[in-house]
Amino acid sequence: MAALPRRIVKETQRLMQEPVPGISAVPDESNARYFHVIVTGPEDSPFEGGLFKLELFLPEDYPMSAPKVRFITRIYHPNIDRLGRICLDILKDKWSPALQIRTVLLSIQALLSAPNPDDPLANDVAELWKVNESEAIRNAKEWTRKYAMDN
Amino acid sequence: MGNCLKRATTDDISLLRGSDSVRETSSDQLGPSPYQETLPIQAASPVYHPSPSVTRSVGQLTEEEQVKIAKRIGLIQHLPTGTYDGCKKARECVICMVEFIVGDTVRYLPCMHTYHKSCIDDWLMRSLTCPSCMEPVDAALLTSYETN
Repeated sequence: MAALPRRIVKETQRLMQEPVPGISAVPDESNARYFHVIVTGPEDSPFEGGLFKLELFLPEDYPMSAPKVRFITRIYHPNIDRLGRICLDILKDKWSPALQIRTVLLSIQALLSAPNPDDPLANDVAELWKVNESEAIRNAKEWTRKYAMDN
Repeated sequence: MGNCLKRATTDDISLLRGSDSVRETSSDQLGPSPYQETLPIQAASPVYHPSPSVTRSVGQLTEEEQVKIAKRIGLIQHLPTGTYDGCKKARECVICMVEFIVGDTVRYLPCMHTYHKSCIDDWLMRSLTCPSCMEPVDAALLTSYETN
């Protein structure tokens, strides 16, 4: 195994020592670049009470390129598709090596509090979010209860 | 933003597949066969990033991208470098997260953010922006040329 860059070692240590409230990120036992992540649904959002599993992978040229992150738990959100892929600018063209695993996960948590149907990844969800927000929020709560609780 | 739909189809869905390829390359490095020494050209072929998420070998670059990269190299060379003397505010390079040690070669961006030269040059070859404040480095340079 190639030596793990100091930065990844440091980030992992800091994540363990000062965890982000509502977020847990644990490196895989066999691959220190692969993290098992759990994000709790933010308060006052349709995802409140849910525990959302994600996977995060640090590519070989991290931090020059962004971590790859995907929701494993199904979620009803206009910027997250049925495969769990996330539409978030800092994971694409707005990535900067000054960002970290911590800041990426905080941004994802913020995306749950502030869905952006004008920049959709899941078209049908975004459409409903725009034309009938209350029904979309009802669906999101239903999916949270169905897929993100008691499992 | 707004281009996620188009890109989504080319995204690698399985993150684990990425990890496999890392394992493969690292195990390759563990036991290099002596025959590999006869093929250094392929291994040493430089790779460029016309934009942060795009990786291309020299032969794959379009003419437009070659010009873009040549200009970028020129601009980077104009950015001042120095030696860390221990009295700057920044204690840690935010790119590698290693503390600056007196004598380290650093590069100063026009916004006054400082990084290890090797760390920031690696990034600037992908994007001419300051990682910390997102200030475009090229625009700042052009402005300073105009005022001089």
